[in-house]
Amino acid sequence: MSEYLLQMKNISKTFPGVKALDNVELEIKKGEVHALIGENGAGKSTLIKILAGVYTPDPGARFFFEGKEAEISKPLDATMKGISIIYQDLSLFPNLSVAENIYIGRDSHKKPWTKVKWNDIKKIANKALKELDMDIDASIPVEQLSIAQQQMVEIARALAFDSKLIVMDEPTSSLSAGEVEKLYNVIDKLKKQGISIIFISHKLKELFKVSDRFTVLRDGKFVGSYDAQDMTEPKLIQLMVGRNVTYEKNQATVEVGETIFKVNQLSKEGNFKDISFELRKGEVLGITGLVGSGRTELAQAIFGISTPDAGTIELYGKKLSIRNSAGAVKEGVAYIPEARQTQGLVLEQSVINNISLPIISKLKNKFRLTDRKQEVKLAEEYVKTLDIRPALPHLDAGNLSGGNQQKIVIAKWLSTKPKVIIFDEPTNGIDIGAKTEIHKLMRKLANEGIGVIMISSELPEILAVSDRILVMRHGRIAGELNVAEATQENIMHYALQGKSNGKAPTFVAESNQMSQGV
Amino acid sequence: MKSIIKQKEFSIFMIVVLLCVVLSFVSPVFLTFENFLDIIEGNVVMAILAVGMTLVIITGDIDVSVAAATTAVAVIIGNLFSFLPDSWISILILFLIAPVIGIIIGAINGLLVSKIKIPAIVVTLGTLNIINGLVLYLTNGQYLNSSNFPKPFLTFANFEFLGIPILVYLLTAVAILTWFILKHTLIGRSVLAIGGKSQSAVRVGINYNKVKLFVFAYMGFLAGIAAIAQTAYTKAVDPNGLLGVEMMVIAAVVLGGTNIQGGRGSIQGTLLGVLLLAIMQNGMILAHIDTFWQKVVTGAIIVIAVSYDQISYRRQQAKLAKIEVEA
Ligand SMILES: Nc1ncnc2c1ncn2[C@@H]1O[C@H](COP(=O)(O)OP(=O)(O)OP(=O)(O)O)[C@@H](O)[C@H]1O
Ligand SMILES: [Mg+2]
Repeated sequence: MSEYLLQMKNISKTFPGVKALDNVELEIKKGEVHALIGENGAGKSTLIKILAGVYTPDPGARFFFEGKEAEISKPLDATMKGISIIYQDLSLFPNLSVAENIYIGRDSHKKPWTKVKWNDIKKIANKALKELDMDIDASIPVEQLSIAQQQMVEIARALAFDSKLIVMDEPTSSLSAGEVEKLYNVIDKLKKQGISIIFISHKLKELFKVSDRFTVLRDGKFVGSYDAQDMTEPKLIQLMVGRNVTYEKNQATVEVGETIFKVNQLSKEGNFKDISFELRKGEVLGITGLVGSGRTELAQAIFGISTPDAGTIELYGKKLSIRNSAGAVKEGVAYIPEARQTQGLVLEQSVINNISLPIISKLKNKFRLTDRKQEVKLAEEYVKTLDIRPALPHLDAGNLSGGNQQKIVIAKWLSTKPKVIIFDEPTNGIDIGAKTEIHKLMRKLANEGIGVIMISSELPEILAVSDRILVMRHGRIAGELNVAEATQENIMHYALQGKSNGKAPTFVAESNQMSQGV
Repeated sequence: MKSIIKQKEFSIFMIVVLLCVVLSFVSPVFLTFENFLDIIEGNVVMAILAVGMTLVIITGDIDVSVAAATTAVAVIIGNLFSFLPDSWISILILFLIAPVIGIIIGAINGLLVSKIKIPAIVVTLGTLNIINGLVLYLTNGQYLNSSNFPKPFLTFANFEFLGIPILVYLLTAVAILTWFILKHTLIGRSVLAIGGKSQSAVRVGINYNKVKLFVFAYMGFLAGIAAIAQTAYTKAVDPNGLLGVEMMVIAAVVLGGTNIQGGRGSIQGTLLGVLLLAIMQNGMILAHIDTFWQKVVTGAIIVIAVSYDQISYRRQQAKLAKIEVEA
């Protein structure tokens, strides 16, 4: 028998107007974790959907499974071979229970009149949930879960199935640090059982942690497959993007102007306490800290998603009383949330319509009808500044890759022309090349006089973009640094130890929650 | 908290009870066993069709050709009756032929929807008109009375057990069968899965086309059964007897808590929905309200119920979305 579990050869896929894959190959050994990497739109998810039988490849494609030539022309073919997929955009049923969501698909090959065995479903689901340490009621419908929990249910489904190969397409993009840790443990366990894993992620640190081999795609073409030992981060980036990408620490000295935004003694029980800061014209304020330090909660309170218990918020000297997110938008505050995957894109509408959606009532021509020309122009602008690929604003949003869909969400918020904009992990799920574009964009917004707050766990990103850095720890501001004096070390110091508390937790144990790499 | 549907079923039930209380003041006849049986028997056809329509709507589709299909089957069996012997075999033949014709009509709808991917509303509007046209052409709009019906059929139609008419048993059987399919078989779960998210359904290996075909064919099957019920109830075949009934059927399903966008719904809810509509109409007749006002009231109640449903569902979703970000 061959050492390969799976070989895919001559894989091409043409969508109308787009050649998503061009003669790609992929070889997966038994029991290995294989990273599949490439920029947004490189074709990773498309390749996976071909493996899953969801897309039909162009003629000439060949599959070998366990050394034998195999046919995968529909999802059932893949399932029957023991291939499970964790989809980037999830493949759950909001109306069905957690248990049924985990179980579904195992019986797809059976006769339609087969009686459903509810007891088996419960048992299998609970076992999978336990393996992931998940404490949720398996009888509630999935729509009542948070995105992170839904992601875990999707993972549980793959575990419940007796798989030989599990594909994980950006499984960690909406998980918390604790959940990511659990996933790593599960991956270890699966590996020991001889199960192969294909792992897709834009977090290079993560990839180096879990993978044995890499396959790199660029613009739908196969670049190569490499052993992890022979690979370094810079080399990987070079292969992926075709050029070197390094972050320079932000050197610019900005002229800060008047105070745009002021937060005063803001507190919310159990989330954060006594948060005060100012945001000046021209600067980018970075907020960092370990996951769970209260950063996101703070942003959400500012944006009116939750209500703070005490404290005030001022915009240009005017006290704001924001009761909900609609109120925040009206006042000129925008918040681009971390979990963007499912946040309000109309997938069967064009990129143009999605971007103009929040301001459609303002784009009127002299007959008081929607001004299509202006709409298109607006979209084209954002497609260019955010490097949305392919640069075809007439395409349906659903036809774009996951990362490019995220860029549309960002564009949508920018189109509201906010006075203050909070980016929460703006480059989560976005490839390394486009990251620098988004960094430039934040800088440009700040230069235009918009208040920019960036929340990020990636220290190089924080250092590259911010002018001033707030470090949060346990719901408080543990330190404030100007970029000139900031280093990864002193940020970490504040994030872990804070100002006073002398007890130093071990650096290594927690550092995986804050990425220090690119 | 088990599910939105459970709450919803309960609130429909409460509305039914409330309506009964009010109507018992309006008319002393209302709250009698006989009147209730009459109401149920008189709505068996609508209920059978609504049960089938529940599956169609759960998958996110619609079938507006049901009343026409039922009429078509009724016309065919009505004409067939003159060739059938005066023996019990005729009943058996009837129960074989009527569903098969129904399934054929349903399957045509299903194939056009699933294979050729024409929206269901367009397909079934088309079949609705084709069938109505053909029926009119073949019958000249003429009424068939029971004179050439086989005797056993009339015995069947009048049969009662424990004081309850046979048609009520027929409905009960249909409802239990469909409930079982929906709740306990693979194909039933696939119906719910497709309605919940069709993209996910395809990814987990559910055969989308097959499920759609099943749903429309099953609707046709029940149209066949409904045709027998209609013929037995009226002891005649009236080519115009069911004109516009599809709207009442769809209304009953939606009133019963099935989401018009698909994904959620139940047979129990649908039966309550039918009951609600039926009692309302009965009450208005007993209260001597003019027919045109009856129509207006029925229409208004449907609009209100569906809007209420949509609004509360959206609220619930908004609340969930909020928790989502907060988590
Ligand atoms: N259904 C579709 N119709 C048309 N074009 C598509 C479709 N699906 C994907 N594409 C195009 O194929 C290309 C590859 O997309 P794919 O989703 O595979 O990228 P990816 O590598 O997964 O990116 P990301 O990291 O952003 O998830 C993109 O240019 C995308 O726009
Ligand atoms: Mg992708």
